[in-house]
Amino acid sequence: MPDPAISIQNLTKIYPIPFKRERLTAVDDLTLSVEPGQVYGLLGPNGSGKSTTMKILLGLVPATRGQTHIFGRDSSFVESREEVGYLPENPYFYKYLTGEETLHFYGKLCGLRGEPLRRRTRELLHLVGLEDAADRRLGGYSKGMLQRIGMAQALVQEPRLLVLDEPTAGVDPAGSRDIRDLILQFKTRGITVLLCSHLLGQVQEICDRVGILHKGKLVREGELEKLIAIENQTQLIFENASPELLARFEAEAAACGARLVEKSKPHATLERFFLEVTQ
Amino acid sequence: MPPRHRFFSPGRIGAIAGNTLLELVRQKVFYFLLIFALALIGCSFFMGFLRPELQFQVMKDVSLGAMSVFTWLLAVLATAMMLPKDIEDRTLYTILAKPVPRLEYLLGKLLGVLFMLAISLGVMAVLFAATLYIKEQTTIAAALGELRQAPPEQVAEVVRNVKAATFTWSLVPGIAIIYFKAALFASLTLLISTFASSWIFTIVISVAVYLIGHLVPIARTYLLETDGSWISKAFLTLLTLMFPDLQLFNLTDDIVAGNALPPGLFFQTAGMGCFYLAIYTCLAYLMFSKKEL
Ligand SMILES: Nc1ncnc2c1ncn2[C@@H]1O[C@H](COP(=O)(O)OP(=O)(O)OP(=O)(O)O)[C@@H](O)[C@H]1O
Ligand SMILES: [Mg+2]
Repeated sequence: MPDPAISIQNLTKIYPIPFKRERLTAVDDLTLSVEPGQVYGLLGPNGSGKSTTMKILLGLVPATRGQTHIFGRDSSFVESREEVGYLPENPYFYKYLTGEETLHFYGKLCGLRGEPLRRRTRELLHLVGLEDAADRRLGGYSKGMLQRIGMAQALVQEPRLLVLDEPTAGVDPAGSRDIRDLILQFKTRGITVLLCSHLLGQVQEICDRVGILHKGKLVREGELEKLIAIENQTQLIFENASPELLARFEAEAAACGARLVEKSKPHATLERFFLEVTQ
Repeated sequence: MPPRHRFFSPGRIGAIAGNTLLELVRQKVFYFLLIFALALIGCSFFMGFLRPELQFQVMKDVSLGAMSVFTWLLAVLATAMMLPKDIEDRTLYTILAKPVPRLEYLLGKLLGVLFMLAISLGVMAVLFAATLYIKEQTTIAAALGELRQAPPEQVAEVVRNVKAATFTWSLVPGIAIIYFKAALFASLTLLISTFASSWIFTIVISVAVYLIGHLVPIARTYLLETDGSWISKAFLTLLTLMFPDLQLFNLTDDIVAGNALPPGLFFQTAGMGCFYLAIYTCLAYLMFSKKEL
C-alpha cells in the first residue's frame, strides 16, 4: 500500500488574538487523506480554514496539535517539500524579475541548473501561455498573468503533488478554463492536486473528491459523484423533438409510474456564451 | 526523479543571495554612490585655501568618514526592508514552500546585502583613490613648476612627501574595518527585523544601537572607576555585554595621520566584527525559525 499523497491527522490550529484573552480556532480536529492521482477539492465559506490547512501542510505555519504528512514525510521537515508545488492565494512574486527570471529563481531553489533549467523554463512558459511576456517584469503583469506564472512556478520541479489555493481567483473565463484544462491534464499524468476554490461549477468539473469545511471542522467528505447524484432521477436531453413526441413520452412515463419532475429548455451557459463572443 | 535533498546547499543560498543583490540593483540602490561621488568632488574643490599636505589630510578624513556613514546607512536601510517586504508580499511563502530551510533563506538574504555592501564600498574606495591620485598629480605638477631651479634632491623630497600624503596601502585595512562595522550592522538589523512589527521600528532600533554602541567605552570606564549603586552597575554591565563597542571600529584617525594600522589591532577588530556578525545571525535564525508567518 503506497503512502497517501496527503495525510492530515487530528489537525488543530489555534491562533492567539493579540491583546485579548480569546483564541481563534482556525482548524478544528481535521482528519483527511488524499490518495495519489486524485484531484481533491477543499471547499468552505470564507474564513473556514482552507488556506490555513494548506499552509500547515507546507510547513509554513506550525500546527497547534496533530500531524500532516506529504507522501509519508512529515511536513515539519524540509524534505517533505521536494515533491510538492504550492500556489498561495493572491500570490505576489518579485516585481523586479521578469517571468523567465522568476522561473529560473524558483528552479534554482529546487536544485535545477544550466540547460535542464532553461529547457524546463521554456516548457512551463509555453504551458501557461506566457511566452510573449517572458521578458517583461512581473510588476507589469495583470492579475491573471501573475496567477499563471504562479502555476508555472509551482510546477518547476515536476512535483507529484500540487497544492493550489484559489488558482482561478481573478482570472478571466478563458484563463480560468485554461487552468481547469491544465489541472485535468495533470490528472491524466497522475499528479495529485489539492485545490480550494469558491467556483463550485469548476470544482464539480474537475474534482474526484471534495471535503467541505465549516468553521474549521470537516462537515462532509466523499466522492463527488456520490455526494451530489440524485439516485432516483434521470435527465434526458433531446434535439428536434416535436411536441407530439414529447407528449407521447410523458404519457408513456406516467403509464409506467414515473413522475415528470421538470421540463425545460437547456440554456447555453453564460460561460460558453462569453467564450464564444470573446474568441 | 529530482536529485536527493541536500541538507545544506550553497547553490540555493547562492540563488537567494544573487536574487537579493539583483533586487537591490534594480531598486537603484547604487544611485546612492552618486551622492558620495559628488560629495567627494565637492570636497576636493573647496579646499584650495589649505596647505597641500593639510588638504590631503582633510580629504582623507572626510572621505573615510563619509564612506563609513554611507556604508552603515546602506546596511541598515537595505536590510530593514528585506524581511518585512517578503512577508507582506507573501513571496516568502513561495520560497519556503520549495525545499529551502529557513536558515538558508536567512543566510542568502544576508549574503546578498553583504555583497552589495562590498561592491558599494569597493566603488567608493576606487573613487576615493582616483580623486586622491588626480589631486596628487596636480599638486606634484604645481610643485615641479615652482621648483624648476631647485636641486634634484629637493624635488625628489617634495614628490616623496606628496606621495606619502596621498593614497597609500595603509588605508586599505581602515577601509576593511569600515566594511566589518557595516556587516555587523546588517546582521543586527536582520535580527531586529525578525521580531520588529514594522521596518520603521527596525531602523529606529538600529540607529539607537549605533548611538549606544559609541557610549559603551564611556559606560565601561564608569563601571571600572566609580562605585555607583549595584543597579546602575548591573545595567551598565549588561550594556557593555550586549552591544559592541563601536568606538573600537573608529580607527581612521590614526590612519589619516599616516600611521599604519598595527596588524594585531586590525585582526582583533575584524575578529570582533565577525564575532558579533555570527552571534546576531544565530540569534536571527533562532527568532526566525520560530516565527509564525
Ligand atoms: N495569521 C493569522 N493570525 C490570526 N488569525 C488568522 C491568521 N490567519 C488566518 N487566521 C484566521 O483563521 C481563520 C481561517 O482562515 P483561512 O485563511 O484559513 O480561511 P479560508 O478558508 O482560506 O478563507 P478564504 O475563503 O477567505 O480564503 C480565519 O478566521 C482567519 O481570520
Ligand atoms: Mg483562503
